[in-house]
Amino acid sequence: MAILGRGRQPSSGSGSTNSSRMSKPPSDKLPTFKLVVVGDGGVGKSALTIQFFQRLFVTDYDPTIEDSYIQHTEVDAQWCILDVLDTAGQEEFSAMREQYMRKGDGFMLVYSVTDKQSYENIPHFYTQILRVKDRESYPMLLVANKVDLVHMRKVTEEMGRELAHRLNLSYIETSAKDPPLNVDSAFHEVVRIIRDSPPMDGPKKNKKKTNCVIM
Amino acid sequence: MFAPTWRLWGEEKCEGAIYTVYLKKVRYHHPSRSITQESDDDEISHLEWETVRVRFLKAGTLEKLIESLASDTGELESTFVNVFLATYRTFSTTRQVLNLILDRYLALSSSSNKIYGLREDHKKALRLTLQVWLDAYPEDFRDPPFFSCLRQLSEFTKIHLPGSDLNIKAGYKLDKMKREEDIKGSTMLGKILSCEEMRVHCSSPMSNGNHQPYEFLDIPESTFAQQLTRMDTVLFKGVIAHQCLGSVWSRRDRGRGDAAASVTATVDQFNAVSFRVQSTILVDTELKPSQRARLIVKWIDIAQELRMHKNFSSLKAIISGLQSNPIYRLKKTWGAVIKDKAELYEELARIFSEENNQLNQRELLMKEGTAKHAQTAHANDRHLPKALEKLAVNPLAISYGTIPYLGTFLTDLTMIDTAIPDTVANGLINFDKKRKEFEVLAQIRLLQGAANAYQMERDELFERWWESVLVLDDKESWRLSCQIEPQGSSAQSSTREGRMRKRAQIGHRKNDSIASTSSGSSSSQFFFDNDSLNTPISHNDTCSLERKMSTSSSSSSLPSLDVSVHSGGTSASGRTPERNSNTQQQQPAPSPYITPDFYIIRVSIESSAHEIEGVNLYKSIMLSNSERTVSVIRKAMEKHGFEGNPEDYTLAQFLPDGEMLLPASANVYYAINTQYDLNFVLRRRRHGDENTIIRKNPAKDHKVRKKLLVT
Repeated sequence: MAILGRGRQPSSGSGSTNSSRMSKPPSDKLPTFKLVVVGDGGVGKSALTIQFFQRLFVTDYDPTIEDSYIQHTEVDAQWCILDVLDTAGQEEFSAMREQYMRKGDGFMLVYSVTDKQSYENIPHFYTQILRVKDRESYPMLLVANKVDLVHMRKVTEEMGRELAHRLNLSYIETSAKDPPLNVDSAFHEVVRIIRDSPPMDGPKKNKKKTNCVIM
Repeated sequence: MFAPTWRLWGEEKCEGAIYTVYLKKVRYHHPSRSITQESDDDEISHLEWETVRVRFLKAGTLEKLIESLASDTGELESTFVNVFLATYRTFSTTRQVLNLILDRYLALSSSSNKIYGLREDHKKALRLTLQVWLDAYPEDFRDPPFFSCLRQLSEFTKIHLPGSDLNIKAGYKLDKMKREEDIKGSTMLGKILSCEEMRVHCSSPMSNGNHQPYEFLDIPESTFAQQLTRMDTVLFKGVIAHQCLGSVWSRRDRGRGDAAASVTATVDQFNAVSFRVQSTILVDTELKPSQRARLIVKWIDIAQELRMHKNFSSLKAIISGLQSNPIYRLKKTWGAVIKDKAELYEELARIFSEENNQLNQRELLMKEGTAKHAQTAHANDRHLPKALEKLAVNPLAISYGTIPYLGTFLTDLTMIDTAIPDTVANGLINFDKKRKEFEVLAQIRLLQGAANAYQMERDELFERWWESVLVLDDKESWRLSCQIEPQGSSAQSSTREGRMRKRAQIGHRKNDSIASTSSGSSSSQFFFDNDSLNTPISHNDTCSLERKMSTSSSSSSLPSLDVSVHSGGTSASGRTPERNSNTQQQQPAPSPYITPDFYIIRVSIESSAHEIEGVNLYKSIMLSNSERTVSVIRKAMEKHGFEGNPEDYTLAQFLPDGEMLLPASANVYYAINTQYDLNFVLRRRRHGDENTIIRKNPAKDHKVRKKLLVT
C-alpha cells in the first residue's frame, strides 16, 4: 500500500480510483510481476503504458517519480503488484535491450497495425527474449496496437493471428486512443499468462510456494 | 513551519488563453531602509506584507503566447521566454514565430492606447527575447542558402532599430553563417575526396585486438576512460536539447529524418562502445576462461574509471555490453573473474538498476550532476569509497563534468509527450506541457554546461585502435559466444575436452540431416513442453483473446527467423542446469549451437600493401549450408570493401600443410575442412588456379598464414 502513496500528490476529487474498484488490495505481501513492454519505436508502447496508469496521475504527471509505473491490480480476483518497464524512446540503444529484458517476468510484444516493419520485427524480439531467458517458451503476449486507425491499417488481424500462432502466443488488438480498447485487458492477460506458465517460468517470489505445491 | 507564500487561487479564462492564478505574499518596497536594517528580518512586521495575484499562462493560442513574452497582466514568470524558446518547434516554426514577434513589435510602436513607459518595457522585452533566441538557438536560423529568417530579422532591425545591439548581432550572425556556408561549399569537393579516402581507409581490412600493435590489454584504463569521455563530451555538448523532445525523437512514424541527428550520434556512440565490449571478449574463441576473464576485468576497470569521470553514458554502455547475452552467459569465464572485480562490477551495475524507475541513476545525477567529482557511494559500495579516498589525497585531482545516459531523458520526454495532450479546450496550445518538457530540457542543458569542465587530450593511437576493432553483429556475437561455451556445457571438465567434443560434433553434423539432433533426451523435452503449452488458461475476459493451442509445433523452424535463431529453435535444449535439477526430468540435452546450420569463417586478404604494414587482417563471415563459392567470395569482397567481379577472385582455406583452393562451384559449407581452424584467404585469381585444389606450402602464402595465426 505504501507504494501507491509515496511521492504523488493526491488528486483532488478523484479519490483513490484504485481502491474504488472491487475489493481492496490485501495488506499482506503480494506477488510482484515485472512486465516489460517491447517493440519498435513509434508503435505506441508508451501510449499503452500511460493509458494503463493514467488513472493514477490525474493532476500532475511526473515521469521521474519512482513509483510512476507500479500499480496494485486485481486480476481474476487475485491481487498483485504490477511493475511495468517501458523503455520507449530508447529503442535505438540496441545494446542495452538484453539487459532490461533479463528482468522481465512477462512481456508484451507490441507492433503497430499501421507499420508493417514493426510487425516483421516481432520475431526478433521474441528470439532475443528466449535467448536472454534461456528458455524455449516464456510468458509473452502479442499486441496489435493502433487498431483505431482503420484506414491506415496495413497488418490485418489474420496476419497478426498467424504470427501469434507461429510463435505460439496469445494475440490481442488494442488502441490507446479514447475510448481505449483492451488496454487493461492486455496487461491483465500478461498476468494470467505468467500465472499459468509452468512453475519454473513464474516470478521468483512465487517459486518456493509453487514448488511446494508440486511436491 | 513557515506559512506557504504561494497559494493556488484558481483558473482564469479569457479569449484565447487560460491562466492558472496563484496568490503570493510579497513584502512592500522599502526604498528608505538602511543597510543595517536590511539583514534583520525579525524586525519586519507582518503589516509589511501584501498579497498579489500571479498568473501563469496554462494554455493559449500562438498569438497569446507571443503576447505573453511581454505583457503587463500581472507579474510574469521569468522562465516563460526560456520555456517558449526551448519548445516552440513542437507547435510552430521559426518563420511563423519571428513574423508574429516582429508584427507585435510594430503594433506596439504604433499603438497609442498604452502608457509610453509600459509600451517601451514591452518592446524591450521583445528585443531581449530575440537576442536570447539568436544566442541560444542559432541553429534555428541556419537555413542555407538564403537564410531568409535571419535576413528578415537583419532587415527589420536595420529599419526599426538601426545601430541597436540586436541589429549588430543579426548582421554579424548572418555574415558568419554565410561565410561558413561558402567555406563548406568550396571545400565540398575536398570533402568528397576525403570521404572517399576515409572509405577506402576504413574498408581496408582492419584487424581485431589480436593483430594490432596497440593491444587492448595494454591500453591503460585511465587513457581508455579519458578517450571515451573525450568522444562522449563532443557528442553530448553537440546534442541539441529540443531534438530530444518526444514529438521530435519518439514520433518516428512521422518520419524523423535528420531532425534528431544530434541524438542519433549519441546513440550510435553508445552502441559502438557496447559492441566493442562484446567483440574484444568474443573474437578469439580459443582463449582459456582465465584469459578471457582478464578481458572482462579490463572492461570493469575501465568502467570504474568512467565512474570516477562521471561519464554515465559510456559506463552504462560497458555494463550493457557485459550484460548482453553473448557475454553474460559465459559462465566459466565469469567464474574465472576474481571476486574483488566481480564485486566492483556488481557495484557499478547497481547504478543502472531499473528498480523504482531508475531511482539510483536519477539520484546520482541529481547529486553529482554539477559537482566537481564523483562523490556518492551507495551504502553497500565498497570500491567507490576507496577510489574516492585516493582521489582526495591526489593534489592533481582535476574537476570533471558529467555525461548522463541520454536514454533516461528520452524515455521521460516520450512519456510526457504521450501522457499530456498537445492542446486543450478547443485547440489552445497546452503550455503546461511545455513547462514540463522544459524541466527535462533544462537539466540536459545544465549538464551540457557542466561538461565544459572536461579537459581531455586526443590520443591518436587510441583512436586508430578504436576504429580498427572488429565489430560483430548480433548473430555473429551469439554464434561466437556459443562456440566459446556451448549451451548446457557447464559440466564440461576442461576447455580442451570441450573443443574436442565440439569438433567431433561439427563433423558429425555435416553428414547428417537437419532433423538428426533429436535424441532420446530431447524428445522427453518436447513432451514436457507440449504439456506446458497446453496448460489451460482462463477465459474470463470478454476481450477478443484467442489462445492458440499448438499441439505439436514447437517454436521451431520459423521461416522468418534468422539462421542462428533457427538452430536455436530446432533444438530441444535451452534448459539451464538449475532447471534440470529442479524438474528432474532429463539429462542436459545436447546443445543446438555446436551443431549449427552455418559456420563463422575468417577470411583474410592477400595484398602486398598490407604485408608491408606488418598486419594481416581478417573479417568474420557467416557461412550457411547452401552457399556456393562465388557467393562466399562476394560476401568476403563486400566485407573487405572490394569491388569487381567475384569470378576474378579465389578463396582458399589455410591448412597445416598448405592450403585448399575451393572450386568455383563448390558448396563451401560441405567442402571445407572443419578439422582445422576456419581461416581463409581471398586473392585475385591467378593463371592455373582452375586446376589446383591443394597447394603445398607455397612460400608466400606460408608467410601470410604465419602472420594470420599469430595471436
